[in-house]
Amino acid sequence: MNNYILSKKTVVNDLATFYSFLIGLIIAICIGSVILLIQDQNPISVFSLMLKLSVGSINSLSSSLNKAIPLILAGLGISIMNSVKLWNIGAEGQIFLGAIAVNLIYINIEIYNSSLLILILLISGFVGGSICILLPAITKVVFGVNEIITTLLTNYIIIGLTIYLVNGPWKDPKSLNFPAATYVGEEVYLPTIFGRLSSGFLICILFTIGAYYLKEKSVFGYEMRIAGGSAMTAIYAGINARQKAFFAMLIGGGFAGLAGAIELLSQTHRVSIGISQGFGYTAIIVAAITGMRPIGIFLVGCLFGALTIGGAVIQTIGVSSYIAEIIQATTLIGALVSQFFFTYQIKEVKDG
Amino acid sequence: MNQKLLEAKNIYKSFGKIQALNNVDFYLYKGKIHGLLGENGAGKSSLMNILSGIYQPEKGSIIYKGEKQKKLNPDSAGKLGIGMVHQEFRLIENFSIKDNLTLSKANIYVNDFEEAFKKYSEIFSLAANHDTLISELSVGEKQKIEIMKLIFNNNKIMLLDEPTAVLTPHETNQLKISLDTLSKEDEKTIVFITHKLKEIKEFTETIFVMKNGEMVAKDLETKSVKDNDLVTLMMGEITKSVVKKDNKKGEIKLTVENISLKSQDDGFNNLDDINLNIKAGEILGIAGVSGNGQVELANIISGIHSNFEGKVTIKGQDVSEKGVKARKKLNLSYIPENRLGVGLAPGVSILDNSVVKEYFSASYGPHLSTNKMVNYLNLLIKEFSIKTDEPKAEISTLSGGNMQKLLMGRELISNPEVIIAAQPTRGLDVSAVEALHELIINQRNNGSAIMLISEDLDELFKLSDRLLVLYEGKIIKEFNINEANTNNVGLAMAGVIE
Repeated sequence: MNNYILSKKTVVNDLATFYSFLIGLIIAICIGSVILLIQDQNPISVFSLMLKLSVGSINSLSSSLNKAIPLILAGLGISIMNSVKLWNIGAEGQIFLGAIAVNLIYINIEIYNSSLLILILLISGFVGGSICILLPAITKVVFGVNEIITTLLTNYIIIGLTIYLVNGPWKDPKSLNFPAATYVGEEVYLPTIFGRLSSGFLICILFTIGAYYLKEKSVFGYEMRIAGGSAMTAIYAGINARQKAFFAMLIGGGFAGLAGAIELLSQTHRVSIGISQGFGYTAIIVAAITGMRPIGIFLVGCLFGALTIGGAVIQTIGVSSYIAEIIQATTLIGALVSQFFFTYQIKEVKDG
Repeated sequence: MNQKLLEAKNIYKSFGKIQALNNVDFYLYKGKIHGLLGENGAGKSSLMNILSGIYQPEKGSIIYKGEKQKKLNPDSAGKLGIGMVHQEFRLIENFSIKDNLTLSKANIYVNDFEEAFKKYSEIFSLAANHDTLISELSVGEKQKIEIMKLIFNNNKIMLLDEPTAVLTPHETNQLKISLDTLSKEDEKTIVFITHKLKEIKEFTETIFVMKNGEMVAKDLETKSVKDNDLVTLMMGEITKSVVKKDNKKGEIKLTVENISLKSQDDGFNNLDDINLNIKAGEILGIAGVSGNGQVELANIISGIHSNFEGKVTIKGQDVSEKGVKARKKLNLSYIPENRLGVGLAPGVSILDNSVVKEYFSASYGPHLSTNKMVNYLNLLIKEFSIKTDEPKAEISTLSGGNMQKLLMGRELISNPEVIIAAQPTRGLDVSAVEALHELIINQRNNGSAIMLISEDLDELFKLSDRLLVLYEGKIIKEFNINEANTNNVGLAMAGVIE
């Protein structure tokens, strides 16, 4: 009698994640096309319009890349935490608290050198993100509370805090009852590089390289990998697994907080409930599709930024912008399923 | 009385290449307590799993009350009244005692649960209320519930797989009294599996002995059988050492003084006043059935376990208060029993795992040099002939033998002065075992002080200079290798001191 079992492949192609992403994307485009056909739309013309309006000109391309910044930064934070096999579902809240921290410091500090001020505000954003995840990090490390639940619930607290601030103490009297804080001054706007592209994108590139280095080439990254693989092996090797988990969480939260700071300083220029449009959740998809690889997160983040812009502009011809979100989500499902086939093989086992 | 209630004839069962059961005969008498004795891996659990219908034998027949049974599955075995308590409990943790006991459709105490529960609570001296959740019970109490579950499901044949392994001495005594009552008053037929001689003599009326998948002795009357004979049956004859042991011994490298460790469960001693020392060029064997404190001792010496009493000295330095890294700096290597999970991190690449001991030597400040790591791994692959084609692949893609070679190579390449090796060859094939033994001997000849923890007497006799036997956390006997034989070491491992 012969049995068949699933076993992990000895050699997994390095490009497997990339291929599975492509397959996922193709599946997603097919499903998206079917949905468009049901709505009596021509998929080819809709998709080519999306492409044209998201990357076809300097202005649209730079808008797309601007949208990519928070996705990439939050995604990198998620991938750093995942080195210790922890999930950060709280990037959304961290983005908000990053922006809140920027505004808080901006209101209370008097520095006339605007470059220095911007630097301080960016750092405040990072720290704000770290503070946002501090409670989940402490409860995780000390009591072993599941971080998925705590980071997720923190989002609700922070969003509640944002709503309170923009309706109460920080409410801009000139905003005509629209709940938003007062605008920050133009001296702290992040300069643009070309078109509308914010210099936050350069920070993004820098942090992508930084995250790659931290995860793959540093002692800390190595210790995170071992601690994530087996807490017992970490103890055996003399690695303080709890400490690694704690710092991985603070850094991960900081990345998302920085995203909030850049969003405020380059896009919204004020704290409002519109600081993040679900970036923290989409970032989970971005990170998961790429198997938590920083360079992949950068590339997929750019693509998803373009999809978001494309989705927004096709509303003008009467197509729902949700088509972009459907494509993002189905790409993830398709990619995860095909990743499974790239990493496993069916083996025949002879019984007896 | 001499009617056989259940009989298994000419049973064969294999798992892959391993022949777990080879032409095994076994039978039970109604109302008796039967002992099934054998080392780990002798096939005891496989046989029980076949009787309870969980495994299907490849050949052989099962006869109940003289009637040959067709294919047995857990359901039909249950109908015959055969029930088993596994080593890992199968209770639903967040259900109450009552819910667990009455879960099965075979439950016979539907209307008179309270009464039955009261009766058996007395027999098992169980103090808990039946509304208590399983998760709130101690291990000993859980086991009582497991056995009671068999009674409630009307199982007349009760197969207990190493029931005492998780119990304190006091609970073991209690269990003996309960089982006696069940067999006398309820006429339950009981199979009691163990590898402890003392218990099999106390608990049972008749003894069966298994070795390497074969039934080597059947139906020996417990009262008249001698300990020595049981040990010889269980362990078999062992060919004595072929390794020369006349190398020069140096000064003492490792000293352990008055080590005691209390585990959380009921103050039951895991380790009790351990004293030992090892010289350079010497191999000290630690014999004992696993679970008698070996892991704890190794963890204390290597610095993993810090909550203990006593003193550990490495190369003359008191390291009792020092951590893992400080001890590694004194050139101590530890090859843990749990290969994948402790020694190697699952889900992490071969490359990462190869530098767990010395990753600091591949670093410049915060930077970790991949080149240095790869060079280090390549050195290990060459020196210890490890077979792998992809260093970036996950560690679990290596075979067991290659995994152990990587682990041992990693720990030995720095020529450590003190080595703790726990079960270094368990589960490996003959050629891998030979290769690893050679590594240990080479290391001894290089002047390492080696502590070899093993359950395999062959290995201990072959390699050690001296032998200590660990039983229930105590060193109950020390042997010079010349005076050690299967019989006296085996008896000591089973807790019997002459």
